Amino acid sequence: MPMVTRPEFLPGLPNWSRKTFFALGLAAICFGFAFPVLWLILTSLRPESGIYYVHRGTEFTLGNFKEVLGQERIVEAFINSAVISTLATVFSLLVTVSSGYMLSRFTGPAARIWFGTIYVFRCVPYISWVLPLYFVVQSWGIYDTYVGLLLPHIAVHICFFSWLMKGFFDGIDPSMEYAAMIDGCSRWGAFIRVAIPSALPAISALAVLCWLFTWNEFLFALILTGNRVPVITVVMAQFVTEMGLHWNLMAATAVMALLPAFLIALFGQKYVIRGLRI
Amino acid sequence: MFGEQQRFVLLLIAPAALLMLLFQVVPIVIGANASFRDWTLYNPKKIWVGLAHYHSVITDPAFLYVVLPNTFIFMIVSVLGALVTGLALALLLNRPFRGQKIVQTILLVPLMVAPVVAAIMVRWIFNDQFGIANVVLETIGLEGQPWLVQRWSAFCIIVLTDIWLWTPWFTLLLLAGLQSLPKEPFEAAAIDGTSAWRVFRYLTLPMLRPVIVVCVVIRAIDAFRTFDIVWTLTSGGPGRSTELFSLYAYVLAFLNLDLGRGSAAAITGGLIILVLGVVMYRVVDRVARA
Repeated sequence: MPMVTRPEFLPGLPNWSRKTFFALGLAAICFGFAFPVLWLILTSLRPESGIYYVHRGTEFTLGNFKEVLGQERIVEAFINSAVISTLATVFSLLVTVSSGYMLSRFTGPAARIWFGTIYVFRCVPYISWVLPLYFVVQSWGIYDTYVGLLLPHIAVHICFFSWLMKGFFDGIDPSMEYAAMIDGCSRWGAFIRVAIPSALPAISALAVLCWLFTWNEFLFALILTGNRVPVITVVMAQFVTEMGLHWNLMAATAVMALLPAFLIALFGQKYVIRGLRI
Repeated sequence: MFGEQQRFVLLLIAPAALLMLLFQVVPIVIGANASFRDWTLYNPKKIWVGLAHYHSVITDPAFLYVVLPNTFIFMIVSVLGALVTGLALALLLNRPFRGQKIVQTILLVPLMVAPVVAAIMVRWIFNDQFGIANVVLETIGLEGQPWLVQRWSAFCIIVLTDIWLWTPWFTLLLLAGLQSLPKEPFEAAAIDGTSAWRVFRYLTLPMLRPVIVVCVVIRAIDAFRTFDIVWTLTSGGPGRSTELFSLYAYVLAFLNLDLGRGSAAAITGGLIILVLGVVMYRVVDRVARA
C-alpha cells in the first residue's frame, strides 16, 4: 500500500516559502474575520476623549464598563436575557427532542403531516406571525412578561430544531431501542433510557445553538416587550439612536453582550461540530 | 380509540404541536383576519374591506420597485456570498495544519455575534466622521464616504455584514459534511495524481451537494426575512431605499400604526417565500435522491 499524500498547496514553490505564504494567507483571513470584533473591543477600552481617534493614542481604561454596569436598565437587561435564554433552551430541548425522535423513528401519515407542517411553518417569515402575536399576548395578559417572550421563543425553535434532531436520530441505529423493548422496556423507556443518551452529543450541540439564538434574537423582543422586561439586544438598538455619540459606552455594552455568547460557544464548539452532521 | 403506538406518537409531538398552534397558527389566523379589515391601532374599526389592503400593497411603488427587488437581491447575493466563502473556509479547515484549532475558533466568531451587535460594530466602522474606514481612506489620500446615507454603499454594507455573519454557519455545516465523506475516492484520486481542482470539481462538490443544497435552502428562507441588521444599520434609509420586506411590514404596522395593511404586507411576503420554499423543497428532494 503506497503512502497517500494530499495534493500540496502551490506545488511549484520550495517548501519554506510555501509554508510562509500559507501562514500569511491564514493570518490575513483570520484578521479580516476578527477585525470588526477586535475594533469593537479596542473602542470599548478607550476613554471618552479618545474614541473619536481610536486609532491614535495609547490611553486605555475600564471606565466604560464601570459606567455601563452602573446603569440599572442595562444590568436588568443582561439578567433578563440570560434567564430567558436559559429557560428557552431547556424547554425547547424538551419539546424538540421528542418531536425529532418521532419524525425519525416513525413513518406513515402522522409523521408526513407533521414534517410538512414543520417545513411550512419554518418558511413563514417571523414578521407574518409576530405582528398579530402582539395582540395575542396582550389579550392573554402576558405582554411584556417573561412568559410572553419565552413561549414564542420556544415555539419558533420547534421547526428548525425538530428538523435537525430528526437528522441526528436518523444517524443513530434504532436496533438498540428494539433490543431494549424486547427486554421489556416500554416505548417511553426505550426513548428516554436508550435513544436520548446516545443522542447526547447532538443534544448538547442543539443546546448551544438554542442558547445563542435566543440571546441574539431581536425582532420578538422588540415587538413583545416594553419597559418591564428589557432585553439586551433591544436596549442596545435603542442605544444607537438615543446615545449615538457615546460610542465608547455603546462598544462596552456590545462587548459585554458578546462575552457570554463567546464563553458558551468556546465551551460548546466541539459538540456543535460533532453534532451538526446533516 | 388509539393503539398504544399511535398514542406514543401523538404524545411525542403533542407539546410541540400545542405551542405551535397557540403561538404560530393562532396569530397567523388573526393576522389574516386583520389583513381584510380596516384595523388601525389608534382606531380599530375592524370593518371588512376585502382585498383592498392587498391591492394597495401590491400596487405600492415602494413595495414593487424598492422593497421586493431589495429583498431578492439581498437574498441571492448574501446567500451566494456566504456559500462561496463558507465552502472555501471549510475546505481550508478540512486539511490538517498547525494551529488549525485556533484558526477554526477565530473563523467561527461571527456565529456568536448577535446581528444587532454586528450592525452596531459595522455602523461604528463606517461612521462618516470617526469611522476607521474613512480614516484609512483619507490616510491613503482618497475621499471619505458617507457610507450609510448613500443607497448603494449602504446596501452593499448590509449585504457584506450579512455575509460576514452567516459564513461560519456554512463553514460549520460544510466542514461537518466534508469530514463525513468517505476517504477511499480521495485516496484513489491522490494515487492517480489528480489535480486539486479536479478533485474538488469531480469528487468533493458532487458528494457534498446534498449538504450544500440543504444549507442554501435554510439560509435563503432566513435571508428573506432579515430584519435586525437592516433595522440597526440604516432603519431602511436613506429614505426607504434599503428597506427589506420584513421592515416594510413592521413600519406599516408599528410606525404607521396600520395593522391591517401591515398584516397584508406580511402575508403577501409570507406567500411569496412559501411558494419559493415549496419549490426549493422539491429541488432538495430531487438532489437528495439523485
